[in-house]
Amino acid sequence: MNWCSRGIRNAFRNLTRTFSLIIILGLSIGLSLAMFISHQAVTQKINNVKGSVDNTISIFPAGLRGFAGGGTPLTQSQLKSVSALPHVVQLNETLSDRLTSSDTNLQSAVSAGFLGRRFAGNGFGGNVKFTPPVTVNGTTSPTDLAVSAATTGGGSFSLLSGTVFSGTSNSNVALVGTGLASKNNLKVGSTFTAYGSNISVVGIFSSGTRFGDNQVVMPLLTLQRLSGETGDVTAATAYVDSVTNLASVTNKIKAVLGSAADITNSQQQAQNAISSLQSIQTISLYSLIGAVVAGAIIILMTMVMIVRERRREIGVIKAIGSSNLRISGQFMAEAVTLTIAASVIGILIGAVAANPITNMLVSNSNSSNSSAAANPGGGVFRQRRFSGAFGGLHHSFANIHAVVGYGIIGYGLLAAIIIALIGSSVSSYFIAKIRPAEVMRVE
Amino acid sequence: MLKVTDLKRHFKSGDSIVAAVDGVSLKIPDGQFVSIIGQSGSGKTSLLSLLGALDKPTSGSIEVDNQDITRVSGRELNRYRAKTVGFVFQSYNLVPNLTALENVMLPMEFLGLPKKLRLERARQLLEEVGLSADQMHRKPGKLSGGQQQRVAIARALANKPKYILADEPTGNLDSETGKLIFNLLHDLSKKEKTTIITVTHDLKIAGKTDTSFKLKDGKLAKGTDR
Repeated sequence: MNWCSRGIRNAFRNLTRTFSLIIILGLSIGLSLAMFISHQAVTQKINNVKGSVDNTISIFPAGLRGFAGGGTPLTQSQLKSVSALPHVVQLNETLSDRLTSSDTNLQSAVSAGFLGRRFAGNGFGGNVKFTPPVTVNGTTSPTDLAVSAATTGGGSFSLLSGTVFSGTSNSNVALVGTGLASKNNLKVGSTFTAYGSNISVVGIFSSGTRFGDNQVVMPLLTLQRLSGETGDVTAATAYVDSVTNLASVTNKIKAVLGSAADITNSQQQAQNAISSLQSIQTISLYSLIGAVVAGAIIILMTMVMIVRERRREIGVIKAIGSSNLRISGQFMAEAVTLTIAASVIGILIGAVAANPITNMLVSNSNSSNSSAAANPGGGVFRQRRFSGAFGGLHHSFANIHAVVGYGIIGYGLLAAIIIALIGSSVSSYFIAKIRPAEVMRVE
Repeated sequence: MLKVTDLKRHFKSGDSIVAAVDGVSLKIPDGQFVSIIGQSGSGKTSLLSLLGALDKPTSGSIEVDNQDITRVSGRELNRYRAKTVGFVFQSYNLVPNLTALENVMLPMEFLGLPKKLRLERARQLLEEVGLSADQMHRKPGKLSGGQQQRVAIARALANKPKYILADEPTGNLDSETGKLIFNLLHDLSKKEKTTIITVTHDLKIAGKTDTSFKLKDGKLAKGTDR
């Protein structure tokens, strides 16, 4: 038997104390592990959110929004310098126009109604017999309806039949909204006229809104050619690799396009989403530190108590020739044994508790944020913005899932052993201070 | 030869200085059975602690084979305690979590002896002091006082030390068992040619040793050679 096996055996010298200590330390290690797993899961989610949620920059010609306002179209050559900027992963461009009865044989699927007539009265010289025109969008990304949101309300693209044309195509092809297709009896393979040319329907889609389903989507180059607006763009959306780069890329685009464009981004919404996740991350980190410190204190105090209790025994071992180092090693082996035994329990607790703890943190944070969002004090517009942000956030929270892998278990064990070694190293100081002469004194 | 010269151990107790050992000088030839007697508080145990390098003297020297152990490093002191001296304590001081056999093997581990040799020697020593095979595998709590002291003597002899320092080795034993333990120490000293220095209150035991030193108030009162 050597110092190491003596240490291991000493760990089970007092079974009641050993059992109690293993349970307490196991709880501490379990909580540490659960918090570590939770922290990892939230950190990963933050990175995902940063990479995917609303990391877009909207670019419009200065003074224009949809079919309101005025100004000069942007050009594709201007936007080339935007797509070349660092962190811009994609740039979708759109040219929007309205097809009236003189431009097309298509009949609008949306009736004017009260609002249409009112808008027509204001906007079209009091023409109360106004029929809403058909909106046509030429785009480099046919499935991205967000880029034409200003003219058609955006929505989610869903192909009902046919195929989607290439964003770089220059053919006379179009995707037709399902409402417009029904109104004009169009199917895949049908043709209609626009700008005096025949256009083939290659697909029918739904956007989820009646207005959005009353539109025609063409390749950007095709619409530019047919409408005689070569190189013009009325809206563009830049996608940034991470929300953390959103502000800097926005500033760079502003610098590139200057006063020619109005540029906005979704920074605030993204920040709201991330700040909520970050608060969970902070809570889990502090809890992790707290649990680790608690574990370290438990093992430290236990080892100090054990050393004090065995002063005489340590004195005897010194008296018969052992070095302080060897005795410290024995106590370290004891501490590591206790900690490994506690780690087994801790890992089980951590594996079971990680997901419930993460969910609890998420639901607490989510409910507090929802209540904050319910009355943000910023009017209807702000309320809608926040509701949207937290709606997305709730969705992202629902997908947070803590995973217990072998790597995490390994890290947990390593951390526990380090805690044990640090905890028992303090007891080494007390061991060194014990004078062997004390054992000569009869108690 | 053990040579002690003007050895002092003073320590503070409140505002006063206590002279536990106060200028002791003595010589002990090899192979002798020596007793140190004196009243309680006379400095016997303090002197034994200094001889065993368990405590540092305030001044003076302890020469063991011409090496002053008061001036050696911590590592050499560990070796001195493990190799040159063996201790027998009044309250046995066996490690409670180890069996009798493991207790005897312990000092040999500190000298780096292989396990097989340690086991063989421990068995042999325990047999010599009269422990049965069954008793060897018992922990100290399952042995009588006399048996524990036998284990302590076997442990003290484990590394074949030149000196055995015994502090009241029969103090916790009844007179019959005490006599047996004394005889055991005496026989071993003759057989192994070990110098035994024992602290005792028992004048009968002191009377049977080769030399007896009497301490009073930390000073050597007299030495008696027989």
